[in-house]
Amino acid sequence: MREVSGTVGGDHGKEGMADINQSGLLTVRLVTSDRILVDTTAEAVELPAMSGYLEALYGHAPLLAELGAGEVRLHGGESGDKKFFVAWGFVEVLPERVTILAENAEEPGEINVEEARGELSEAEKLWQEAGDDQRKYDEANAVARQAEAKIVSAEGGQH
Amino acid sequence: MANVLDLRRRIRSVKNTRQITKAMKMVSAAKLRRAQERAMQARPYAQMISNVLESLVRRTDMYSDETGDLLHPLLVEREEKNVLVVVIAGEKGFAGAFNSNITKAALNFINERRSKDQNVDVEAVGRKARDLVGKKYPQANYEKTEEHYDNDLSTHFEVIRHRGAPVEMTGDHPALLNKVSIDEVGDLAHSIIERYTRAEIDSVYIVYNEFKSVISQRVVVEKLLPIRKLGSPEITVAEEMTEEQKEAAGHAARTSGVSVNVPEDEAVESEAKKFGTAEVDYIFDPEPQKLFRHLLPRYVTTQLFHALLESVAAEHAARMTAMDSATNNAGDMIDALSLEMNRVRQAAITKEIIEIVSGAAAL
Repeated sequence: MREVSGTVGGDHGKEGMADINQSGLLTVRLVTSDRILVDTTAEAVELPAMSGYLEALYGHAPLLAELGAGEVRLHGGESGDKKFFVAWGFVEVLPERVTILAENAEEPGEINVEEARGELSEAEKLWQEAGDDQRKYDEANAVARQAEAKIVSAEGGQH
Repeated sequence: MANVLDLRRRIRSVKNTRQITKAMKMVSAAKLRRAQERAMQARPYAQMISNVLESLVRRTDMYSDETGDLLHPLLVEREEKNVLVVVIAGEKGFAGAFNSNITKAALNFINERRSKDQNVDVEAVGRKARDLVGKKYPQANYEKTEEHYDNDLSTHFEVIRHRGAPVEMTGDHPALLNKVSIDEVGDLAHSIIERYTRAEIDSVYIVYNEFKSVISQRVVVEKLLPIRKLGSPEITVAEEMTEEQKEAAGHAARTSGVSVNVPEDEAVESEAKKFGTAEVDYIFDPEPQKLFRHLLPRYVTTQLFHALLESVAAEHAARMTAMDSATNNAGDMIDALSLEMNRVRQAAITKEIIEIVSGAAAL
Protein backbone atom coordinates (compact mmCIF):
# COMPACT_ATOMS: atom_id res chain seq x y z
CA MET A 1 0.00 0.00 0.00
CA ARG A 2 2.48 2.50 -1.10
CA GLU A 3 1.09 5.11 -3.37
CA VAL A 4 3.31 8.04 -3.86
CA SER A 5 1.74 11.11 -5.27
CA GLY A 6 4.29 13.47 -6.66
CA THR A 7 4.25 17.17 -6.46
CA VAL A 8 1.44 18.89 -8.13
CA GLY A 9 2.54 21.87 -10.10
CA GLY A 10 -0.15 23.69 -12.00
CA ASP A 11 -2.26 26.61 -11.03
CA HIS A 12 -2.42 26.99 -7.30
CA GLY A 13 -0.65 30.32 -7.44
CA LYS A 14 -3.15 32.11 -5.27
CA GLU A 15 -2.49 33.87 -1.99
CA GLY A 16 -0.74 30.84 -0.57
CA MET A 17 2.13 31.16 -2.97
CA ALA A 18 2.90 34.80 -2.36
CA ASP A 19 5.13 34.51 0.69
CA ILE A 20 6.88 31.35 -0.37
CA ASN A 21 10.59 31.06 0.30
CA GLN A 22 12.86 30.24 -2.57
CA SER A 23 15.07 27.68 -0.86
CA GLY A 24 13.16 24.72 -2.24
CA LEU A 25 12.98 23.29 1.24
CA LEU A 26 9.86 22.42 3.15
CA THR A 27 9.48 23.60 6.72
CA VAL A 28 8.43 20.52 8.65
CA ARG A 29 6.86 20.56 12.04
CA LEU A 30 5.73 17.53 13.98
CA VAL A 31 3.42 18.47 16.83
CA THR A 32 2.11 15.98 19.37
CA SER A 33 -0.49 16.45 22.03
CA ASP A 34 2.10 17.40 24.62
CA ARG A 35 4.99 18.99 22.77
CA ILE A 36 6.57 20.03 19.51
CA LEU A 37 8.71 17.05 18.62
CA VAL A 38 10.38 18.28 15.44
CA ASP A 39 10.86 21.65 13.84
CA THR A 40 13.15 21.42 10.87
CA THR A 41 13.39 21.57 7.09
CA ALA A 42 13.42 18.78 4.51
CA GLU A 43 13.40 18.24 0.78
CA ALA A 44 10.77 15.58 0.90
CA VAL A 45 8.42 14.15 3.50
CA GLU A 46 6.73 10.77 3.37
CA LEU A 47 3.48 10.67 5.28
CA PRO A 48 1.36 7.72 6.41
CA ALA A 49 -2.08 9.04 5.48
CA MET A 50 -5.19 7.02 6.28
CA SER A 51 -5.47 5.88 2.69
CA GLY A 52 -1.80 5.01 2.20
CA TYR A 53 1.59 6.63 2.13
CA LEU A 54 2.04 9.87 0.26
CA GLU A 55 5.09 11.97 -0.35
CA ALA A 56 5.14 15.74 -0.30
CA LEU A 57 7.80 17.75 -2.08
CA TYR A 58 8.31 21.48 -2.19
CA GLY A 59 5.43 23.15 -3.99
CA HIS A 60 2.87 20.46 -3.26
CA ALA A 61 -0.72 21.52 -3.66
CA PRO A 62 -2.47 22.39 -0.37
CA LEU A 63 -3.69 19.22 1.26
CA LEU A 64 -5.42 18.35 4.49
CA ALA A 65 -5.30 14.65 5.27
CA GLU A 66 -5.98 12.31 8.11
CA LEU A 67 -3.04 10.30 9.40
CA GLY A 68 -3.04 6.58 9.96
CA ALA A 69 -0.35 4.71 11.82
CA GLY A 70 3.10 4.45 10.32
CA GLU A 71 6.31 6.33 9.78
CA VAL A 72 6.95 9.90 8.83
CA ARG A 73 10.17 9.96 6.85
CA LEU A 74 12.10 13.14 6.24
CA HIS A 75 14.63 13.34 3.45
CA GLY A 76 17.33 15.94 2.89
CA GLY A 77 17.26 19.40 4.38
CA GLU A 78 18.83 20.37 7.68
CA SER A 79 17.61 17.21 9.34
CA GLY A 80 19.24 14.72 7.01
CA ASP A 81 17.23 11.54 6.75
CA LYS A 82 15.03 10.99 9.75
CA LYS A 83 12.13 8.77 10.69
CA PHE A 84 9.41 9.08 13.26
CA PHE A 85 6.68 6.72 14.25
CA VAL A 86 3.30 8.45 14.32
CA ALA A 87 -0.25 7.31 14.87
CA TRP A 88 -3.55 9.14 14.34
CA GLY A 89 -3.84 12.77 13.69
CA PHE A 90 -3.91 15.18 10.81
CA VAL A 91 -1.47 16.69 8.40
CA GLU A 92 -1.58 19.95 6.55
CA VAL A 93 0.57 20.30 3.46
CA LEU A 94 1.12 23.75 2.01
CA PRO A 95 3.51 24.47 -0.86
CA GLU A 96 6.34 25.44 1.48
CA ARG A 97 5.28 23.89 4.77
CA VAL A 98 4.20 20.58 6.22
CA THR A 99 2.59 20.48 9.65
CA ILE A 100 1.90 17.12 11.20
CA LEU A 101 -0.49 16.89 14.12
CA ALA A 102 0.01 13.49 15.67
CA GLU A 103 -1.75 12.03 18.66
CA ASN A 104 1.17 9.69 19.26
CA ALA A 105 4.69 10.15 17.95
CA GLU A 106 7.99 8.59 18.88
CA GLU A 107 11.46 8.23 17.48
CA PRO A 108 12.05 4.64 16.38
CA GLY A 109 14.85 4.32 18.92
CA GLU A 110 12.46 5.20 21.76
CA ILE A 111 9.93 2.53 20.95
CA ASN A 112 9.50 -0.25 23.42
CA VAL A 113 9.01 -3.31 21.21
CA GLU A 114 7.93 -5.54 24.07
CA GLU A 115 5.20 -3.10 24.95
CA ALA A 116 4.11 -2.90 21.32
CA ARG A 117 3.85 -6.68 21.17
CA GLY A 118 1.76 -6.58 24.31
CA GLU A 119 -0.53 -4.04 22.63
CA LEU A 120 -0.82 -6.32 19.63
CA SER A 121 -1.97 -9.28 21.70
CA GLU A 122 -4.30 -6.91 23.54
CA ALA A 123 -5.76 -5.99 20.16
CA GLU A 124 -6.30 -9.65 19.33
CA LYS A 125 -8.21 -10.03 22.56
CA LEU A 126 -10.31 -7.00 21.66
CA TRP A 127 -11.05 -8.57 18.32
CA GLN A 128 -12.37 -11.68 20.01
CA GLU A 129 -14.52 -9.62 22.31
CA ALA A 130 -15.83 -7.27 19.67
CA GLY A 131 -18.45 -9.67 18.38
CA ASP A 132 -20.77 -7.94 15.95
CA ASP A 133 -20.15 -4.52 17.41
CA GLN A 134 -18.78 -2.53 14.51
CA ARG A 135 -17.41 0.23 16.67
CA LYS A 136 -15.51 -2.12 18.93
CA TYR A 137 -14.21 -3.97 15.94
CA ASP A 138 -12.90 -0.73 14.45
CA GLU A 139 -11.31 0.13 17.75
CA ALA A 140 -9.55 -3.25 17.88
CA ASN A 141 -8.39 -2.69 14.33
CA ALA A 142 -6.99 0.70 15.22
CA VAL A 143 -5.07 -0.68 18.19
CA ALA A 144 -3.68 -3.50 16.07
CA ARG A 145 -2.69 -1.18 13.26
CA GLN A 146 -0.87 1.12 15.63
CA ALA A 147 0.96 -1.74 17.35
CA GLU A 148 1.99 -3.31 14.06
CA ALA A 149 3.23 -0.03 12.65
CA LYS A 150 5.16 0.55 15.86
CA ILE A 151 6.90 -2.81 15.67
CA VAL A 152 7.75 -2.35 12.01
CA SER A 153 9.11 1.09 12.70
CA ALA A 154 11.20 -0.08 15.65
CA GLU A 155 12.73 -2.88 13.68
CA GLY A 156 13.55 -0.52 10.85
CA GLY A 157 11.75 -2.68 8.29
CA GLN A 158 10.05 -1.48 5.11
CA HIS A 159 6.37 -1.73 4.39
CA MET B 1 2.56 34.35 82.71
CA ALA B 2 4.43 31.69 80.72
CA ASN B 3 8.00 31.19 81.66
CA VAL B 4 11.01 31.60 79.40
CA LEU B 5 11.56 27.90 78.93
CA ASP B 6 8.00 27.29 77.69
CA LEU B 7 8.25 30.14 75.24
CA ARG B 8 11.59 28.94 73.98
CA ARG B 9 10.11 25.49 73.38
CA ARG B 10 7.19 26.95 71.48
CA ILE B 11 9.46 29.05 69.33
CA ARG B 12 11.50 25.98 68.45
CA SER B 13 8.38 24.04 67.46
CA VAL B 14 7.08 26.89 65.27
CA LYS B 15 10.49 27.14 63.65
CA ASN B 16 10.35 23.47 62.76
CA THR B 17 6.91 23.91 61.23
CA ARG B 18 8.20 26.86 59.25
CA GLN B 19 10.97 24.77 57.85
CA ILE B 20 8.52 22.13 56.68
CA THR B 21 6.13 24.58 55.06
CA LYS B 22 9.05 26.29 53.37
CA ALA B 23 10.26 22.99 51.94
CA MET B 24 6.75 22.14 50.76
CA LYS B 25 6.52 25.53 49.11
CA MET B 26 9.73 24.98 47.20
CA VAL B 27 8.64 21.50 46.12
CA SER B 28 5.32 22.88 44.89
CA ALA B 29 7.12 25.66 43.06
CA ALA B 30 9.27 23.13 41.23
CA LYS B 31 6.25 21.03 40.36
CA LEU B 32 4.37 24.12 39.28
CA ARG B 33 7.14 25.14 36.89
CA ARG B 34 7.03 21.73 35.29
CA ALA B 35 3.25 21.67 35.08
CA GLN B 36 3.19 25.17 33.65
CA GLU B 37 5.66 24.23 30.98
CA ARG B 38 3.68 21.16 30.08
CA ALA B 39 0.49 23.15 29.77
CA MET B 40 2.36 25.61 27.54
CA GLN B 41 3.77 22.94 25.30
CA ALA B 42 0.39 21.37 24.84
CA ARG B 43 -1.09 24.62 23.58
CA PRO B 44 -0.04 24.48 19.90
CA TYR B 45 -1.72 21.12 19.44
CA ALA B 46 -4.96 22.25 21.04
CA GLN B 47 -4.87 25.44 19.00
CA MET B 48 -4.31 23.55 15.77
CA ILE B 49 -7.06 21.03 16.40
CA SER B 50 -9.62 23.72 17.01
CA ASN B 51 -8.37 25.65 13.99
CA VAL B 52 -8.72 22.77 11.56
CA LEU B 53 -12.15 22.17 12.94
CA GLU B 54 -13.15 25.77 12.48
CA SER B 55 -11.73 25.82 9.00
CA LEU B 56 -13.61 22.65 8.08
CA VAL B 57 -16.84 24.03 9.42
CA ARG B 58 -16.46 27.04 7.17
CA ARG B 59 -15.89 24.88 4.15
CA THR B 60 -18.36 22.10 4.58
CA ASP B 61 -22.01 21.71 5.08
CA MET B 62 -22.88 20.63 8.57
CA TYR B 63 -26.22 19.29 7.45
CA SER B 64 -26.72 16.26 5.28
CA ASP B 65 -28.08 16.98 1.79
CA GLU B 66 -30.49 14.08 1.82
CA THR B 67 -32.01 14.08 5.27
CA GLY B 68 -31.26 17.57 6.52
CA ASP B 69 -29.90 16.12 9.75
CA LEU B 70 -26.80 17.36 11.47
CA LEU B 71 -23.81 15.43 10.28
CA HIS B 72 -22.35 14.68 13.65
CA PRO B 73 -24.06 13.52 16.84
CA LEU B 74 -21.79 15.73 18.95
CA LEU B 75 -23.32 18.84 17.42
CA VAL B 76 -26.87 17.80 18.11
CA GLU B 77 -28.56 19.84 20.79
CA ARG B 78 -31.23 18.20 22.88
CA GLU B 79 -33.31 19.54 25.70
CA GLU B 80 -31.18 19.24 28.85
CA LYS B 81 -32.74 16.54 30.96
CA ASN B 82 -29.66 14.60 31.96
CA VAL B 83 -26.52 16.58 32.56
CA LEU B 84 -23.04 15.24 33.10
CA VAL B 85 -20.60 17.30 35.10
CA VAL B 86 -16.91 16.45 35.16
CA VAL B 87 -15.43 17.80 38.38
CA ILE B 88 -11.68 18.27 38.24
CA ALA B 89 -10.18 18.94 41.67
CA GLY B 90 -6.87 18.20 43.32
CA GLU B 91 -5.06 15.08 44.31
CA LYS B 92 -3.99 16.20 47.77
CA GLY B 93 -4.94 18.71 50.43
CA PHE B 94 -2.83 21.50 51.91
CA ALA B 95 -3.64 23.67 48.94
CA GLY B 96 -5.56 26.50 50.55
CA ALA B 97 -9.04 26.99 49.21
CA PHE B 98 -8.30 25.19 45.95
CA ASN B 99 -10.34 22.06 46.56
CA SER B 100 -13.13 23.76 48.50
CA ASN B 101 -13.62 26.39 45.77
CA ILE B 102 -14.05 23.72 43.15
CA THR B 103 -16.30 21.68 45.39
CA LYS B 104 -18.42 24.73 46.10
CA ALA B 105 -18.75 25.51 42.39
CA ALA B 106 -19.64 21.90 41.61
CA LEU B 107 -22.26 21.65 44.34
CA ASN B 108 -23.78 24.97 43.30
CA PHE B 109 -23.97 23.72 39.75
CA ILE B 110 -25.62 20.48 40.81
CA ASN B 111 -28.16 22.29 43.02
CA GLU B 112 -28.99 24.75 40.29
CA ARG B 113 -29.62 21.93 37.84
CA ARG B 114 -31.67 20.03 40.37
CA SER B 115 -33.87 23.08 40.89
CA LYS B 116 -34.64 22.91 37.17
CA ASP B 117 -35.53 19.28 37.66
CA GLN B 118 -32.67 17.95 35.64
CA ASN B 119 -30.82 14.76 36.47
CA VAL B 120 -27.12 15.13 37.09
CA ASP B 121 -24.31 12.63 36.63
CA VAL B 122 -21.00 13.31 38.33
CA GLU B 123 -17.66 12.21 36.97
CA ALA B 124 -14.93 12.91 39.52
CA VAL B 125 -11.36 13.51 38.46
CA GLY B 126 -8.80 13.63 41.25
CA ARG B 127 -8.94 12.11 44.71
CA LYS B 128 -10.38 15.22 46.33
CA ALA B 129 -13.17 15.50 43.79
CA ARG B 130 -14.17 11.96 44.60
CA ASP B 131 -14.00 12.43 48.35
CA LEU B 132 -15.66 15.84 48.51
CA VAL B 133 -18.25 15.65 45.73
CA GLY B 134 -18.55 12.14 44.34
CA LYS B 135 -19.01 10.33 47.63
CA LYS B 136 -22.12 12.35 48.44
CA TYR B 137 -24.02 10.53 45.72
CA PRO B 138 -24.78 6.89 44.97
CA GLN B 139 -22.92 5.01 42.27
CA ALA B 140 -24.66 4.74 38.91
CA ASN B 141 -25.91 1.32 38.00
CA TYR B 142 -25.18 -0.08 34.57
CA GLU B 143 -26.40 -3.35 33.21
CA LYS B 144 -24.52 -5.01 30.46
CA THR B 145 -26.53 -7.44 28.41
CA GLU B 146 -24.95 -10.01 26.24
CA GLU B 147 -26.72 -11.84 23.46
CA HIS B 148 -25.18 -14.78 21.74
CA TYR B 149 -26.36 -15.97 18.38
CA ASP B 150 -25.12 -17.80 15.31
CA ASN B 151 -24.03 -20.70 17.52
CA ASP B 152 -22.14 -18.37 19.82
CA LEU B 153 -20.02 -17.15 16.95
CA SER B 154 -21.22 -13.67 17.40
CA THR B 155 -22.14 -11.64 20.44
CA HIS B 156 -24.10 -8.48 20.82
CA PHE B 157 -23.47 -6.18 23.76
CA GLU B 158 -25.74 -3.56 25.09
CA VAL B 159 -25.33 -1.27 28.03
CA ILE B 160 -28.42 -0.16 29.88
CA ARG B 161 -28.47 2.47 32.59
CA HIS B 162 -30.75 2.09 35.56
CA ARG B 163 -31.14 5.45 37.19
CA GLY B 164 -31.90 5.12 40.87
CA ALA B 165 -31.38 8.66 42.11
CA PRO B 166 -31.52 12.11 40.50
CA VAL B 167 -27.82 12.67 41.16
CA GLU B 168 -25.44 9.80 40.67
CA MET B 169 -21.72 9.28 40.33
CA THR B 170 -20.86 7.58 37.06
CA GLY B 171 -17.18 7.25 37.57
CA ASP B 172 -14.12 8.49 39.34
CA HIS B 173 -10.56 8.79 38.13
CA PRO B 174 -8.36 9.30 41.14
CA ALA B 175 -5.06 8.58 39.43
CA LEU B 176 -5.63 10.51 36.24
CA LEU B 177 -3.96 13.64 37.59
CA ASN B 178 -0.71 11.97 38.59
CA LYS B 179 0.50 11.61 35.08
CA VAL B 180 -1.87 13.29 32.69
CA SER B 181 -1.52 11.16 29.58
CA ILE B 182 -3.45 11.77 26.40
CA ASP B 183 -4.33 8.08 26.11
CA GLU B 184 -6.03 7.96 29.48
CA VAL B 185 -7.79 11.25 28.89
CA GLY B 186 -8.84 9.83 25.52
CA ASP B 187 -10.48 6.87 27.25
CA LEU B 188 -12.48 9.19 29.48
CA ALA B 189 -13.43 11.37 26.52
CA HIS B 190 -14.56 8.35 24.53
CA SER B 191 -16.72 7.09 27.33
CA ILE B 192 -18.31 10.54 27.60
CA ILE B 193 -18.83 10.76 23.84
CA GLU B 194 -20.37 7.32 23.79
CA ARG B 195 -22.84 8.24 26.52
CA TYR B 196 -23.68 11.45 24.68
CA THR B 197 -24.17 9.66 21.40
CA ARG B 198 -26.57 7.11 22.83
CA ALA B 199 -28.47 10.01 24.46
CA GLU B 200 -27.88 8.89 28.02
CA ILE B 201 -26.78 12.45 28.70
CA ASP B 202 -27.84 15.64 26.92
CA SER B 203 -24.99 17.96 27.81
CA VAL B 204 -21.58 17.85 29.41
CA TYR B 205 -19.89 20.48 31.60
CA ILE B 206 -16.46 20.61 33.20
CA VAL B 207 -15.83 22.36 36.51
CA TYR B 208 -12.18 23.17 36.95
CA ASN B 209 -9.64 25.77 37.93
CA GLU B 210 -8.48 27.65 34.87
CA PHE B 211 -4.85 28.66 34.96
CA LYS B 212 -3.30 31.39 32.85
CA SER B 213 -0.56 32.31 35.26
CA VAL B 214 -0.01 32.28 39.02
CA ILE B 215 -1.90 35.52 39.48
CA SER B 216 -4.53 34.90 36.85
CA GLN B 217 -6.75 32.00 37.74
CA ARG B 218 -10.44 31.34 38.17
CA VAL B 219 -12.81 28.47 38.81
CA VAL B 220 -14.97 27.99 35.74
CA VAL B 221 -17.83 25.88 34.48
CA GLU B 222 -17.17 25.13 30.84
CA LYS B 223 -19.60 23.55 28.45
CA LEU B 224 -17.98 20.64 26.63
CA LEU B 225 -20.90 19.14 24.74
CA PRO B 226 -22.82 19.79 22.58
CA ILE B 227 -20.28 21.79 20.66
CA ARG B 228 -22.09 24.93 19.72
CA LYS B 229 -19.45 27.44 18.85
CA LEU B 230 -16.09 26.04 17.91
CA GLY B 231 -12.95 27.55 19.28
CA SER B 232 -14.71 29.66 21.89
CA PRO B 233 -16.25 27.38 24.48
CA GLU B 234 -19.05 28.64 26.68
CA ILE B 235 -17.62 29.52 30.05
CA THR B 236 -19.33 30.59 33.23
CA VAL B 237 -17.04 31.98 35.87
CA ALA B 238 -17.78 30.62 39.30
CA GLU B 239 -15.00 32.11 41.34
CA GLU B 240 -12.55 34.87 40.48
CA MET B 241 -9.36 35.58 42.42
CA THR B 242 -9.58 38.51 44.82
CA GLU B 243 -6.89 41.20 44.90
CA GLU B 244 -5.71 39.82 48.22
CA GLN B 245 -5.30 36.34 46.82
CA LYS B 246 -3.49 37.74 43.83
CA GLU B 247 -1.08 39.53 46.09
CA ALA B 248 -0.45 36.41 48.17
CA ALA B 249 0.07 34.34 45.05
CA GLY B 250 2.36 36.98 43.57
CA HIS B 251 4.43 37.07 46.74
CA ALA B 252 4.72 33.28 46.79
CA ALA B 253 5.78 33.22 43.15
CA ARG B 254 8.37 35.98 43.54
CA THR B 255 10.02 34.36 46.53
CA SER B 256 10.30 31.00 44.82
CA GLY B 257 11.38 32.12 41.39
CA VAL B 258 8.22 31.35 39.42
CA SER B 259 7.24 33.78 36.71
CA VAL B 260 3.97 35.60 37.34
CA ASN B 261 3.50 36.82 33.81
CA VAL B 262 1.29 35.15 31.29
CA PRO B 263 3.80 33.62 28.90
CA GLU B 264 3.61 35.30 25.54
CA ASP B 265 2.73 33.57 22.35
CA GLU B 266 5.78 32.23 20.70
CA ALA B 267 6.36 32.21 16.98
CA VAL B 268 5.33 28.59 16.86
CA GLU B 269 2.08 29.39 18.50
CA SER B 270 1.18 32.23 16.24
CA GLU B 271 1.86 29.89 13.36
CA ALA B 272 -0.26 27.25 15.06
CA LYS B 273 -3.10 29.73 14.76
CA LYS B 274 -2.81 29.55 11.00
CA PHE B 275 -2.92 25.77 10.84
CA GLY B 276 -5.42 24.53 8.31
CA THR B 277 -6.82 27.96 7.68
CA ALA B 278 -4.87 29.12 4.61
CA GLU B 279 -7.11 30.76 2.06
CA VAL B 280 -6.55 28.11 -0.54
CA ASP B 281 -8.52 25.20 -1.85
CA TYR B 282 -7.26 22.21 0.03
CA ILE B 283 -7.32 18.70 -1.30
CA PHE B 284 -9.07 16.75 1.42
CA ASP B 285 -8.24 13.17 2.15
CA PRO B 286 -10.65 11.67 3.08
CA GLU B 287 -13.57 13.95 2.18
CA PRO B 288 -14.28 16.87 4.55
CA GLN B 289 -17.32 15.33 6.21
CA LYS B 290 -15.36 12.27 7.18
CA LEU B 291 -12.40 14.33 8.37
CA PHE B 292 -14.81 16.35 10.43
CA ARG B 293 -16.30 13.25 11.99
CA HIS B 294 -12.90 12.02 13.07
CA LEU B 295 -11.80 15.41 14.31
CA LEU B 296 -14.61 16.05 16.73
CA PRO B 297 -13.76 13.32 19.25
CA ARG B 298 -10.15 14.49 19.19
CA TYR B 299 -11.33 18.02 19.80
CA VAL B 300 -13.25 16.89 22.87
CA THR B 301 -10.24 14.92 24.12
CA THR B 302 -7.99 17.93 23.67
CA GLN B 303 -10.36 20.23 25.55
CA LEU B 304 -10.43 17.81 28.44
CA PHE B 305 -6.68 17.28 28.32
CA HIS B 306 -6.14 20.98 28.41
CA ALA B 307 -8.43 21.45 31.40
CA LEU B 308 -6.56 18.72 33.26
CA LEU B 309 -3.15 20.21 32.59
CA GLU B 310 -4.30 23.64 33.73
CA SER B 311 -5.91 22.21 36.82
CA VAL B 312 -2.70 20.39 37.77
CA ALA B 313 -0.72 23.61 37.41
CA ALA B 314 -3.35 25.46 39.44
CA GLU B 315 -3.22 22.89 42.21
CA HIS B 316 0.53 23.29 42.57
CA ALA B 317 0.21 27.06 42.45
CA ALA B 318 -2.45 26.97 45.16
CA ARG B 319 -0.29 24.77 47.34
CA MET B 320 2.70 27.01 46.80
CA THR B 321 0.68 30.06 47.82
CA ALA B 322 -0.81 28.33 50.83
CA MET B 323 2.59 27.16 52.01
CA ASP B 324 4.04 30.62 51.46
CA SER B 325 1.34 32.14 53.67
CA ALA B 326 1.94 29.44 56.24
CA THR B 327 5.65 30.21 56.21
CA ASN B 328 4.95 33.93 56.63
CA ASN B 329 2.52 33.29 59.45
CA ALA B 330 5.05 31.11 61.19
CA GLY B 331 7.58 33.93 60.86
CA ASP B 332 5.11 36.44 62.40
CA MET B 333 4.39 34.02 65.19
CA ILE B 334 8.07 33.55 65.95
CA ASP B 335 8.52 37.31 66.10
CA ALA B 336 5.60 37.69 68.49
CA LEU B 337 6.78 34.84 70.68
CA SER B 338 10.35 36.14 70.74
CA LEU B 339 9.10 39.54 71.80
CA GLU B 340 7.07 38.04 74.58
CA MET B 341 9.95 35.84 75.64
CA ASN B 342 12.28 38.82 75.86
CA ARG B 343 9.71 40.72 77.84
CA VAL B 344 9.30 37.89 80.31
CA ARG B 345 13.07 37.56 80.64
CA GLN B 346 13.44 41.30 81.08
CA ALA B 347 10.75 41.31 83.74
CA ALA B 348 12.51 38.58 85.63
CA ILE B 349 15.83 40.45 85.47
CA THR B 350 14.21 43.70 86.59
CA LYS B 351 12.56 41.90 89.44
CA GLU B 352 15.86 40.44 90.57
CA ILE B 353 17.58 43.83 90.42
CA ILE B 354 14.81 45.40 92.47
CA GLU B 355 15.16 42.64 95.00
CA ILE B 356 18.93 43.14 95.24
CA VAL B 357 18.66 46.90 95.39
CA SER B 358 15.94 46.87 98.04
CA GLY B 359 17.93 44.23 99.94
CA ALA B 360 21.02 46.50 99.85
CA ALA B 361 18.95 49.50 100.95
CA ALA B 362 17.65 47.59 103.93
CA LEU B 363 21.17 46.93 105.26
